[in-house]
Amino acid sequence: MSQPTTQKIIIDPVTRIEGHLRIEVELDEHNIVNQAWASGQLFRGIETILKGRDPRDTGLIAQRICGVCTNVHYRASISAVEQAYQIEIPRNAEIVRNLVTLALFVQDHLVHYYHLHSLDYVDVVSALSADPKAASEQAHQWHSHPYQCSQSDLAASQQKLTQFVQAGRLGLFANGYWGHSAYKFSPEQNLIHMHHYLEALRIQREISKAIAIFAGKTPHPQNLVVGGVTSVMDMLNPQRMNDYLFIIKDAREFIKRAYMPDMKMLVSAYRDSIKAGEGRGHGHFMSSGGYRLFNNEPLFAQGVVFDHQFDQVADFDPVNITEEAARSWYADNEPRSPYAQTTEPEYTDLNDDGSLKTEGKYSWIKSPRYQGKAMEVGPAARMIIGYLRDAPLIKPYVDDFMQTCDLELIDFSSSIGRNAARAIEAELTCDAIFAFASELIENIKYYDETTWTQYVFEDLPTSAQGAGIFEVPRGTLAHFVRIDEAKVANYQAVVPTTWNASPKDGQNQPGPYEASLIGIHLADPQNPLEVLRVVHSFDPCLACAVHVIDAQGSELAAYRIQPKAI
Amino acid sequence: MKIVIIGGGIAADYIANQFLAQDASLEILILSKETYAPYDRIHLCDLVEGTAQLEDITLDLAPQVQLKLDHQVTRIERKAKQVFCGDKSYGYDYLIIASGSEPRTLFDLSQIDNAITFRSADDSFKIAKNLQDRHIVIVGAGPIGLELLDTLVRMPQPKAITLLVIDEALYAPDVDASIVAMMRATYEADPRVNIVFNDQIVDKQLDGRLITRLITKKHQIDDPFVIFGIGIQPNVDFARDALPIGRGILVDRHMRSDDLFIYAVGEAAEINETGFCAGHARDCQQQADVAIAHILKTDPQAQYHRQVAIDGLKVGAFDFIDATSPDYNPKDQANETLLLRANNPPRIDQYILNQDKLVRFFGANTNVDAMAVKRLMESNESVDPAFFYTSRLVSERGRLVCSCVGAYQAELQALIADNAVTDFAELKAYSQAGRVCGRCKNEVVTLIANTEVDPEEVARKKQAQQQAELEKKQQKIQRRLDKFNRFHPDAPLDINEIDQALAAFDKVKDFNGWVSMMTLNLEFPPVYQDLVRQGVYQLNKMPVIWLELSDCSGNSEAFIKTVNPSIDELILKFISLDYHELLMAASGPHSETRLDEIIEQYPGEYLLIVEGAIPLAMEGKYLRIGPKGETGEALLKRVAEKAAAIMAVGSCALDGGVVAAKPNPTGAVGVAEALAREDIINLPGCPVNPINVVGTLLHYLMLGEMPALDSKNRPLWAYAPRVHDNCERRGHYDAGEFVKEWGDEGAKKGWCLFEMGCKGPYADINCSLVKFNENTSWPVQVGHGCIACGQGKRAFDEYANNRKVISMPS
Repeated sequence: MSQPTTQKIIIDPVTRIEGHLRIEVELDEHNIVNQAWASGQLFRGIETILKGRDPRDTGLIAQRICGVCTNVHYRASISAVEQAYQIEIPRNAEIVRNLVTLALFVQDHLVHYYHLHSLDYVDVVSALSADPKAASEQAHQWHSHPYQCSQSDLAASQQKLTQFVQAGRLGLFANGYWGHSAYKFSPEQNLIHMHHYLEALRIQREISKAIAIFAGKTPHPQNLVVGGVTSVMDMLNPQRMNDYLFIIKDAREFIKRAYMPDMKMLVSAYRDSIKAGEGRGHGHFMSSGGYRLFNNEPLFAQGVVFDHQFDQVADFDPVNITEEAARSWYADNEPRSPYAQTTEPEYTDLNDDGSLKTEGKYSWIKSPRYQGKAMEVGPAARMIIGYLRDAPLIKPYVDDFMQTCDLELIDFSSSIGRNAARAIEAELTCDAIFAFASELIENIKYYDETTWTQYVFEDLPTSAQGAGIFEVPRGTLAHFVRIDEAKVANYQAVVPTTWNASPKDGQNQPGPYEASLIGIHLADPQNPLEVLRVVHSFDPCLACAVHVIDAQGSELAAYRIQPKAI
Repeated sequence: MKIVIIGGGIAADYIANQFLAQDASLEILILSKETYAPYDRIHLCDLVEGTAQLEDITLDLAPQVQLKLDHQVTRIERKAKQVFCGDKSYGYDYLIIASGSEPRTLFDLSQIDNAITFRSADDSFKIAKNLQDRHIVIVGAGPIGLELLDTLVRMPQPKAITLLVIDEALYAPDVDASIVAMMRATYEADPRVNIVFNDQIVDKQLDGRLITRLITKKHQIDDPFVIFGIGIQPNVDFARDALPIGRGILVDRHMRSDDLFIYAVGEAAEINETGFCAGHARDCQQQADVAIAHILKTDPQAQYHRQVAIDGLKVGAFDFIDATSPDYNPKDQANETLLLRANNPPRIDQYILNQDKLVRFFGANTNVDAMAVKRLMESNESVDPAFFYTSRLVSERGRLVCSCVGAYQAELQALIADNAVTDFAELKAYSQAGRVCGRCKNEVVTLIANTEVDPEEVARKKQAQQQAELEKKQQKIQRRLDKFNRFHPDAPLDINEIDQALAAFDKVKDFNGWVSMMTLNLEFPPVYQDLVRQGVYQLNKMPVIWLELSDCSGNSEAFIKTVNPSIDELILKFISLDYHELLMAASGPHSETRLDEIIEQYPGEYLLIVEGAIPLAMEGKYLRIGPKGETGEALLKRVAEKAAAIMAVGSCALDGGVVAAKPNPTGAVGVAEALAREDIINLPGCPVNPINVVGTLLHYLMLGEMPALDSKNRPLWAYAPRVHDNCERRGHYDAGEFVKEWGDEGAKKGWCLFEMGCKGPYADINCSLVKFNENTSWPVQVGHGCIACGQGKRAFDEYANNRKVISMPS
């Protein structure tokens, strides 16, 4: 049998992401990716379920689109209805909503880096051979007061890991790519990261409590109604606000003294990868901006950049958004406005061997486009556009990071760069939360306790349409609602991962995941760590587990990576 | 309800704690001008002597109480119901003044370094620092002055101690001269002590901030250190503009001032009817109890009536006791004194009678039973003086140690010996002696130290008792373990390997804490901990597979994020969660290999947890997982076949949930329907509360079977309670107090959300009992109301809105 010059790898499902995602890549004879396909493998039809319902009820159902980004779907859905009815919510309600959403940013970014992504860069087994004293000294090189990084702190974590591995029950860490040649951290740097991995487990749990203070619970919060928020009693109780702020304060310490120094360590170790532009997409970035502060200045600037042309930032205008399903398992082939888009499935199945029909329709994800282009959204887009717009709340943080790490703006358009942008955003979001909290306290101090805008539903127009567009942790989220006869006539959600993981379109333009994978070199195709690095850098939100098969039919599953003997 | 308490002493502390004990939902704020948290002034002498540190005498204060220190109240605004501390203001529903009293002085002490009052911890520290080789002058011979004198006599530092007494009385004006002489002789047995009667300060020479010479009528004292103990007066100046004041805040017998919302208790209060100001801790506590009962209306008739007070002094070998009837008036000309005096051993009993009734008693080294004296005063009966004579001899019970509970020395010694009490804490189980006002605590501690117990005999007794109990209960739980082993004959337990796993990833400590907590939750006594620990080892050996199907990961998110921190570490570390798509690090084929391995190696043993609905339309192809494109339905059937038990978590797994809401575009169904089985355990909720998952797992493990289920196959323990029945707002429902509009006054007050579409009456689930995110909140608490999300797809078609449905529940 002749050896094929190209080979195809299927990764399904991709682990350490949220959702059911499949990636297929085609390698050339030098093991370089020359084709890539991203495919969503689950269809639930929440948009169909929303049709015909009372517009006031969309939030409670739309939030169930996702159990991770749950509160932003809730909010975007309610906001879309508010915009349709032109109901302006009280400032207090907006701030309470912001306190919940921005806390989610902090939580999501932390969890993404440490628990979902860091194992692509951190070799757990290597950490076992680190010298804790040298590791402590190493940590002090990246911050003058690193977060709990004394020699004994690090030795304790190392001991935990060692005992864990010796016990033979690796749980979360079983069967990683340990020992892969693409891992660059020293044993000491690996140990510092693992130490923070454990601490971040606690921090993210605490942030969930902060969210629940104003949202009742998470996931699936229950504090929003069309016109405002319901959590007035918690808002007026200083003890609740105090609890919230102290949790955020704790998280901020962690971000400044652990997350940021660790990120600088990552940038330094993988400088070559950044400078080589590994994981760089086509360079179309989009941010809808938002979260205005007391002076009406938005936290995030809006704007659109094409082809890495940083000297030209256009204004973001949602009318330029279209959706199409030329390569998706839906009936609508032509690009249309989301208000007019429908969600009628047209499933064309997989090939008999289970692989994607890559020439035809191959994903449940649609292809949203902006002026016909496939846009990358997320922290990198926000930091780049914020920087170019001189956003006062963004530029100093980005400048500081670039100076410390000797980077240029284009470096954020890479796998590592996306992570760096995410860390910067976590830090500045934490700081912004305090500004919003102060404003809320001032409002209450001067007797503004309003949390809901009064309206009489029966008096509202029976036909209307609106959009709720927000920057959320993974990028730009938009919910579009059209109302007829006081019922939902059409509903579409274009979520960040719809942009980033979108399949090719009618013009055969790849989506950002696909574009970023092209040109990646795999040291060992049986262990496609480099593919995971690129895909994970976007923080995908689908729901997941990982399988790799060889399209030629030979079982790559014959190997098994074991931790090194201790 | 918000209650503000002014004051930082024992009365303020006591009333704050008692309020919370009656109603944990009260918001309580203490404004104290002190720098330290409330402490027990009775033991200030111990601070001087250095036998106690401040933390030893700090009073327990419930953590929910908000305590503001260094907050001197300057003004009360009755109309606005606010108190001011300078420019800071605090609103109240009820205001309690428990500001105590402040010591009197003869001249302004703020500019002088070597003259001080004796009232606070700082005073005590300063006194302790200034004793060395000084001539100490104590001004005033009341109980405080005498107690301090007694303390100083025990200390070597002072060079000389002079007690200046304005008249010829010690302790109180009506103590008989013979007792005074006896006391004096006892004190002056120390050559450093000089008690000077009929003397007072007439002048002083100053050098800057120092008194260099103190000039009294009879003496000149150089380089003195002066301590004033000449009495106290209620500390109520801040309230003068707001409230009627006599000596203290004038209150009625409910302890209420002339303002309906302001009460005063303790030394700051003066009972208008009698002019009485409290002086004892017990008085303060009784007044506090009355005020609380009146405010919370638990007993609107509660009134304060003065009780017989028993007090005393112990100076070396000299013992002095004082019992005072509430009817006693020292100035009443009809008072008659009766003295019984013996010389060997020296003993004096002084009875003061009025109209043949006993109103006061002083006893020096007395044998008389003080509790009997108290009862005599309380009975208010006429007494025959001969009775005192016949009752003069020692009762067998020995000295009265604790007048608060009436505990005698002999009784206490017997208690200590019989029960082998070796420290104060252990005594609590047998007697409250030393715990009410605290005055005799040190004496009780000494008594315990000096009472010999036979350690062997007592240890034997205790052990035998424990052993019997343990054996009886162990038999019971052993039956359960046997049962578990019957259910799991093929699960060999390798303790060595498990121990390593437990040690791994740390936290043996956390683990032990968790075992204790779990033991408690399952309502077993602590002796079961070892058995629970064994149970967890077993769980560690039981493979768990968690499948995500047509879902949003919400239940997984809830599972990893919101469980109690020590629990979720354990879930990740101690329970063998072998396959979980969201959590596992394994990439490539390993996760699938692992799945196959478990199915092959542990048939009939692994537990399957399923999250999400199963889309059946289009041959199940709306969900495909894995490289071969296996449908969700096929995967579920394959894994379910050999599972020991199957738990369907979340509402989607129950019956399709939101995914199956109308028009159910993907033909989604729940796990039971997809598998056509009736033995699926359902744990609905959107998401399911992780407490219910962990609890059910533990139940399965501990008892060898799934918990009792209802008709929908849901565990009764989690799904029998109805949200409405256990709701924190239920009282408002019953009272007809409803929120009518988002953010209205009712919403701010936490009224019932039924009119706003709360579906709590239709939701049978335990949310109102366990809440979410480590008990942080739940949808009713944030003012939205319940949507009955645990009722499956019906919730999303009928309940997930803000409108009332169906008729009012009964």
